[in-house]
Amino acid sequence: MASSRQSSYTKMENFTNETIDIGSLPKFEEVRFTALHPDYWKVVIIQWAVFFLIAATLLGFALFCVDDFAGFRLAASIAFLLIVVLSLFFSRIGFRKKAFAFRHHDVLFRHGVIATNTVVIPYNRVQHVALHEGLVSRYFGLAKIEIFTAGGNSSDIEIPGIQKEQAENIKQLLMGKIQKQL
Amino acid sequence: METSFTQPRRQSPIGVLVMFFDTIRHWARGLWPILVVWIFKFNEINKTYFLLVVAGLFLVIAIFAYLRYLNFTFFLDYENQEFVINEGVLNKSRTTVQLDKIQQVNISQSLIQRIIGVYSLDVDTAGSAKKEGKIKAISHPLALELKACLLNNERKAAAEAAAPENHQEVPAEVPPFIQISFISLLKIGITSNYIRSLGIILAFFATVWENVNNLAEHSTFDKSRIDTYIDKSLAIESIAFVIALLLSAVLVINLFRVIVRYFDYKIARQKGSLLLSFGLLNTKSTIIKPEKVQVTTVSRNYFQKKMNILELKIKQASGDEREERKSAIEIPGCNEYEKDEILKLLFGKVPEKGVMLKPNFRKLVFSIFLTIVVPLTGFFIIGTNVGPQMMQFAYLTPLYAVFFGLVHFFGFRNYRLFINDGFIIKQSGAWDIAHEIIEPMKIQAITTSQLFWHKSADIGYLTLHTAGGNLAFQLGDFTAIKAYVNLWLYRIETSDSNWM
Repeated sequence: MASSRQSSYTKMENFTNETIDIGSLPKFEEVRFTALHPDYWKVVIIQWAVFFLIAATLLGFALFCVDDFAGFRLAASIAFLLIVVLSLFFSRIGFRKKAFAFRHHDVLFRHGVIATNTVVIPYNRVQHVALHEGLVSRYFGLAKIEIFTAGGNSSDIEIPGIQKEQAENIKQLLMGKIQKQL
Repeated sequence: METSFTQPRRQSPIGVLVMFFDTIRHWARGLWPILVVWIFKFNEINKTYFLLVVAGLFLVIAIFAYLRYLNFTFFLDYENQEFVINEGVLNKSRTTVQLDKIQQVNISQSLIQRIIGVYSLDVDTAGSAKKEGKIKAISHPLALELKACLLNNERKAAAEAAAPENHQEVPAEVPPFIQISFISLLKIGITSNYIRSLGIILAFFATVWENVNNLAEHSTFDKSRIDTYIDKSLAIESIAFVIALLLSAVLVINLFRVIVRYFDYKIARQKGSLLLSFGLLNTKSTIIKPEKVQVTTVSRNYFQKKMNILELKIKQASGDEREERKSAIEIPGCNEYEKDEILKLLFGKVPEKGVMLKPNFRKLVFSIFLTIVVPLTGFFIIGTNVGPQMMQFAYLTPLYAVFFGLVHFFGFRNYRLFINDGFIIKQSGAWDIAHEIIEPMKIQAITTSQLFWHKSADIGYLTLHTAGGNLAFQLGDFTAIKAYVNLWLYRIETSDSNWM
């Protein structure tokens, strides 16, 4: 804090202090967001499919090989189907809600299912940036950008479903911004 | 006389005693369940056998302490610019501290050290939160000399690096500017942390109970006797008596905890930092650097307000970026004036409350629904259908409802967010009213959140992430929240000021 005060003294000659008109500040809530790549929905579907196939195999094995469970066959199958449908439904909402925007000074990420959460990280608070490629995502040429701050897990953001090239560009851009800060 | 620290030295011979008590403390901490069981069984065991075991134990500890004393050596290695400490009886360890990394050397005294007449010397380095080097028993002149040697070197290194602000004289012992009196600690002890102490008591009884039960299974100990004893005593003694007993136990434990932990709390100013030292059995010392402070909490309840005391809690960001360790430092029992002095040192001025944001009434309704309506409905459904014997406790439900209703009502009334140019202050709590203070520049990221059915009411959630934890405000005016988010982002993004 002391150092910040000192630096503002040294810049006294070009220091102005006009009243900020709060109404005319750029509004984060009016930013146009970019949706995730459509192929990312396929990635989500494939991931769920793998998960449910394994779950269905286990469930089927239990229902048809263990006699004690024979009475639950119908109920368990209906419950299973219901879970599949609900998972896909909520994933779809989650997928459609997820969106990101890179402004000149900060990055915004929107996500959530019943809530709409918007995380904003100013570039001068970014600690480091990572690029992550999942097995399925790589097949579709997609990558995930992870942005970390010093604010702990809850403030880090992961933007999935970005085309590999674009993701590389964004990473370069962010790295450049961080370098400039230092 | 110039003392040379280049040869390995031992501590003061009297330090064996410090080692002795230190070892006892460590062992007692590990062995207390066994001790409790012994006390329970005191009448049944052979007295001479018991005394022999105790004496033997003390002898072993004494030998151990002597060996610890013999094996503890420290010296300055000028060639490698290091301060070296060798220690350990079975596991030898060697700690080396780079001289130019030394930030602070603290000389302090615990109660035992005061009785014996020795001091301890801590070496604090940049980057690590834990103690790097600690000498437990050293005479005062020697401690001062060693401190001068350690810091002198730092000064030399700093001068070579041509850092002008480090050219100040190495200050001798700084007089504390705030000293928390024993009376203040007593006040804090009887007015705070009731719930934590209750938890400690319950944990204590649970452990004792488990140990006694274990013992009962393996010995001739008559378990049914205890059970009947407890049943009888519960029947005989009224519940009010039990509650009174529990309350006084809570108070006593609180008092002991606060005094042992915070005895002789001193705060000194040094080069713009705060130097804290406290503790009865072992003295802890820490530094607070204002630029590293992230979240400052001032809390106080009704009793404490009447007694003019409050508690301060300060969360710093760790200097090490790899391990994001959040360390909270507590300053108990300062008065209004001392609090203002500390805040002035941390922020340059006393934070003022600005524009007030209130939560929507739905916050109150929702918390009442969640903690009163849902559990009580569940209770009555289960009570009427499954277990009628549960219904004999039905007379407790209005008590429960009134208690939680009051907690939520006051919690809601105190739930406020104050915003001005320099500070964001969140006020919360039903009984202990806390003010969490952060500076907008310490914000790392901001999350706003809104449930879709809150859209028409224009209310939502705000979370400010800092390196010392999050500050959340629920169900406030969403338009106002968004306007402030834009303002904070503007401030953060247009200034190059550092958050640490």
